[in-house]
Amino acid sequence: MEVVVASSSIDAGIGCWDIRTGNEQLRYKSCASPPHGLVSVGNRFLASSQPRESSTSGSILYWSWKKPQVEVKSFPAEPIKPLVSNSVGSYLIGGGASGYIYFWEVPTGRLLWKWHAHYRAVTCLVLSDDDSLLISGSEDGCVRVWSLFMIFDKIGRAEAKHLYEHSFSEHTLRVTDVVAGYGGSNAIIVSASEDRTCKVWSLSKGRLLRNIEFPSIINAIALDPGEHVFFAGGRDGKIYIAALGAGSSSDSIYGMHIIGSFSDHSKSVTCLSFCADGISLVSGSEDGLIRIWDTKSHNIIRMFRHSKGPVSNVLVVSRPEMILNPQASLRRKHLSVLPPALERYSDSTEEAVGLKAVIPDWSAPAEPLDVSYISEHVMNNQIEEIQRQGSYAAAEMETERLKQDLKKAAQMLQQLRKSYDGLHEFCVNELMSENGFNELYMK
Amino acid sequence: MVRSKAPSRKQQSRGVDFKKIKRKIGRKLPPPKNATNTEIKSRAIILPEQTVASDKTGLAVSKKGLTLKELLQQSSHHNFKVRKDALVGIRNLFVKYPEELRLHKLAVVEKLRERISDDDKVVRETLYQLFKSDILPACKEDNQGALISLIMGYIFSAMTHLSIDVRLMSFKFLDLLIQHCPPAFYLNAEKILQNYGDMLCKNQFNLQDKGKLKIVLSGLVYCLSLLPSNDKEDDSCGMNIAEVQILHAFEPDIPKDFAGYFRIIEKLKDLVAVLVNYFNEFIPSVHSQSILDAQSFDCMLSMLQIVDLTVKYIVYGNEKYQLELQTSVPPPVTSDTSTQDQKFSPLLLKKLFIVFPLNPTHKLSEKDSDRYLILNIVISEIFFNFAQWICPPPVLMEKFLSFIEDLMSGQISSSIWSGTLNNEKHLLSLLPFVPKLVSTVECSWKARLVLAFTKAFKSCTILSAVKMACLSAMEEMLIPKQNLQYLDANDPEILGYQITWIRELPLLLILLGDGNPSCSQVVLHLLLRLGQFSLSNPHLAEEYDNLQGSLQEFYSIQLDDGSTRYGAFVRLPRDCQELSVCCLYYFSFLEPCLLTSLASCCICQKLEPFVLFRILDVLDSAYKAGHALIADYISFLITLLFQFEILPGKTCSVMEIEASFCMLEKVVVDMISLKPPLDNSCAMLRILTMVDSRRTQLSEQSIIKLSKILFGYLIEIAACFPEEDDQYTISNSILSRRYYLLPCLVLFDRSTKLLKLVLDMLQPLAINFDPMPTSHYYSQIANDLSRKIMAVASVILMISEDVKVQKVLSSCKAEINSILQSIHSLQSMDEVSMSIEERHKAQCAGNTFHVIR
Repeated sequence: MEVVVASSSIDAGIGCWDIRTGNEQLRYKSCASPPHGLVSVGNRFLASSQPRESSTSGSILYWSWKKPQVEVKSFPAEPIKPLVSNSVGSYLIGGGASGYIYFWEVPTGRLLWKWHAHYRAVTCLVLSDDDSLLISGSEDGCVRVWSLFMIFDKIGRAEAKHLYEHSFSEHTLRVTDVVAGYGGSNAIIVSASEDRTCKVWSLSKGRLLRNIEFPSIINAIALDPGEHVFFAGGRDGKIYIAALGAGSSSDSIYGMHIIGSFSDHSKSVTCLSFCADGISLVSGSEDGLIRIWDTKSHNIIRMFRHSKGPVSNVLVVSRPEMILNPQASLRRKHLSVLPPALERYSDSTEEAVGLKAVIPDWSAPAEPLDVSYISEHVMNNQIEEIQRQGSYAAAEMETERLKQDLKKAAQMLQQLRKSYDGLHEFCVNELMSENGFNELYMK
Repeated sequence: MVRSKAPSRKQQSRGVDFKKIKRKIGRKLPPPKNATNTEIKSRAIILPEQTVASDKTGLAVSKKGLTLKELLQQSSHHNFKVRKDALVGIRNLFVKYPEELRLHKLAVVEKLRERISDDDKVVRETLYQLFKSDILPACKEDNQGALISLIMGYIFSAMTHLSIDVRLMSFKFLDLLIQHCPPAFYLNAEKILQNYGDMLCKNQFNLQDKGKLKIVLSGLVYCLSLLPSNDKEDDSCGMNIAEVQILHAFEPDIPKDFAGYFRIIEKLKDLVAVLVNYFNEFIPSVHSQSILDAQSFDCMLSMLQIVDLTVKYIVYGNEKYQLELQTSVPPPVTSDTSTQDQKFSPLLLKKLFIVFPLNPTHKLSEKDSDRYLILNIVISEIFFNFAQWICPPPVLMEKFLSFIEDLMSGQISSSIWSGTLNNEKHLLSLLPFVPKLVSTVECSWKARLVLAFTKAFKSCTILSAVKMACLSAMEEMLIPKQNLQYLDANDPEILGYQITWIRELPLLLILLGDGNPSCSQVVLHLLLRLGQFSLSNPHLAEEYDNLQGSLQEFYSIQLDDGSTRYGAFVRLPRDCQELSVCCLYYFSFLEPCLLTSLASCCICQKLEPFVLFRILDVLDSAYKAGHALIADYISFLITLLFQFEILPGKTCSVMEIEASFCMLEKVVVDMISLKPPLDNSCAMLRILTMVDSRRTQLSEQSIIKLSKILFGYLIEIAACFPEEDDQYTISNSILSRRYYLLPCLVLFDRSTKLLKLVLDMLQPLAINFDPMPTSHYYSQIANDLSRKIMAVASVILMISEDVKVQKVLSSCKAEINSILQSIHSLQSMDEVSMSIEERHKAQCAGNTFHVIR
């Protein structure tokens, strides 16, 4: 079931609507997340960061799909704003207010690594489509690209001059949004900033490809699935269409590379997201409404009211179908679906345990996975089995040794039996003789 | 018979001598036997058309009336004069008919290339001029590959010509070609370097013909300057972004890099070895002379430049290809290169750096000492590049460090060399090394270098290139790259210098004024970077915030007589303005004084509306990020609003007012909803009423918000300032009540909807018992029903006192009726015990309503 999930920056919970029918689903309670602070972790549960106003701490909350209450609360070392998770849902990455990026392993909750990524607070995080590169934007206007291999490569980390792959510092003000295109490390990325520009970068060449100036600050970007254009939600309430692969004439009324715009005369657009069909665009606005647009005709298809406050996040998630059978849900009640809370500090015993790439074994959700992943446990078993089998020669030696042992044992047995027989004879003789003696004596 | 026969034979033989020939008249004589054959035999003679006579109208011809084809034919004439004339002819043909050149470019080159190894000096010289002035400039745009392949072979063959003059000339040709089409070098780098090496090795130029040596060396310098030497240049060669129309475009592939790095390096190292030997040969001869003449200076300088470029390229290559080496195929000649290295570095150390510094033996004129200084600078440049590659012995390092220190602090011109020098020019090449040196040398040197650098920065003139170089070096020293701490920020001494630099920046900005946008841009960019970075170092952050005071003058300042003097900001081009506006965001606290000067900038007529909006944008973001106080921000916006109302007729002003009003409205409403004390709410409401126009511009949402606020606010007033019985004496309490009430009344007057909403809210209060602890007084009241009714009644009484509001109230009959009914019903209930006085009041309220109705 494809659903729109939305949260607000004031406490209005997480709204959830079915795209096809427009029905509101369960509303998850007590969530006030900043922009980019809501993720669905592997489509299995929702996670959201909750930085508290005027305080030096914050939390990250988990909701399972079935319950409106918060199920797991974790308290990282500093307030986390943007959050991102890889597509399988095994890692959760958060950006801190001091410019640190935290990297957690979801199934165990371990903090694998944190590093100083920016001079100022991290504002948005995004992963490339193959989950190998992390792109982070910051309040200091810097966009940096990190390779996730680096996280598991201690030696490489120590040797490298800088940890990042690329550092783009052409933006002058806070970066508001970043999106990555298709193609892994050869993709393009688009970043928006409060300096009223969007910039297109090439990840392979590491340089600026295009700079587009908008008439207003752009809060959110969504990439057209064909990468012909991208949609940019402005603070003036318009959604602009800017050319990527599409041709554009320079005499557009808005400026170079901007093809057109559509709007509902609302307040500023705060977030954008594409539906799976590649045509409908979901936008969240500061007036608390969520609109679904047809990008072909520029008409509004649906409208949902989320709250009175501004919508800060919209996600389009294909949620596992809920089983309405009460018995089934009762039965599943005992199984806690959600992983443990995230750790505050990285574990000092990490050396001993060692870093393992984890592919989580989620068996609890009802929906079968499209790809069957092998869990670590199964893999370990297999490895052990292989080790146990060993080589043929080793087995030969082993049998030889065992045969010898057997021989020895047999000899021992023989000896023991002999001595036993001797003893037995002796005893019998003794007894007999004693008896004889006694008899004799008695007589 | 026999006899008779004999005489007859004799007779016959005798008669042979003079044979009588009978000739008949009229017959033609046979030709005599000894006659000379005068007959002329020849093959067909083809007489070409007489050049003078042929018809050439409409054809492009030279001054002498020759067409291009004829001229090209003549260019291979055996007579050198004809050849020369032909070349001259071609040149003036091209001058007259540029179209000819465009059409027949490659044909011309194909014919003329033979002349590169011409025996005659004059012909070669003319050809050189022809190529230089006409042919090569015309070849710039189109495909250079064809041209290069046409011409290179002939140049190479000329380089191995027997005559030295031809060889020299061929190097000049090569130089010319490379200057016009650089790919010629990339394509043939190895071979070219080989030829240079041969030329220098085998021809042992004696030191007398420096002119020839100079020609060769200058060509080589140009070639090597094409080698990439650092990454920055690599980046800059990218296309201009604005012009790119297509995102994923096919890029034409002209080789910019070399595949055969190692082979080139080997060749270069050989070359350097030869040159260093030459250089050492020069020194004694130079020392022996009393003056350093221009030619030997040029030669020495070129040699050093070549060495410098080579070392730079090696360092660059080491960095760049290291990674590739590790991953890809191992280098083919590992052992060779390592031995090369072993030979190469001692060569430089022993032969080149040992002679540093070059000191004149005699007292010299100013110009000569200047030359020595330049040579020394180039040597130190080589050294510092070299130091990045191989760690040199500390003694040498000291020598060079003290040199650069003296140079920066300006001591060299006074102490070692007499006379004043234009130091700035020389500094330029050494300044880029300062950040790296400062990060690597030990502590004592660090402070000395930084001190000298500060001196240099302060002493150089504003607009010089040195200032800009200083700024870029400063940026590197102030803002550390990832994992690469340049300066220990905790070192108080160095921090002191850093603070000095930062403080210089606004002053520099103000001094630059609006005349030099590019320089201002550099300074502003540095400021921006500083702001972005500042948070990671508390000292620098504090210093950055302190800049605000001195930046005021850049925006505008109030003079004593009340007028405003605008700074450079208003007049700078837009990109500079944008940069400086962006800097504002990074101040951790925006001081009121800076906001004041910004506000007066905004009011300035000259300022473009676009920049104005940018300022509003950025200040809004800064306020949201908590970088400005609410009071300061509001006063900034109000100033703007009031001032703009004075200036009508400006097209943008309406939009402008709306924009800032929206921001203001939101801020104020948000602030009031936080329930500040009564006085503050009143003040903010008054601001709203002041700013708002006659027909309210408040948005729907804020009206809803406001209605909630006003409801609590009114009840609070009613509770605080109870009505007194004596209606005729105007007491203090009544006056203050009016004061607090006024903004509400104005708002009600402007927006009927607001009033309706408030009345709606009063109604549930009268009915429901739920305590809604919105405010202190209110929660008290809520517990006691009678007091609640009292409160509602007095609020309504209060509102209805005003004549204007009465009119508005009359349109809200439905709401009032429902309130009234609920009060009545409550009164009739048993559990409500009201005193007579209270009942009276309620009755009064009811009466008033009736009046209104």
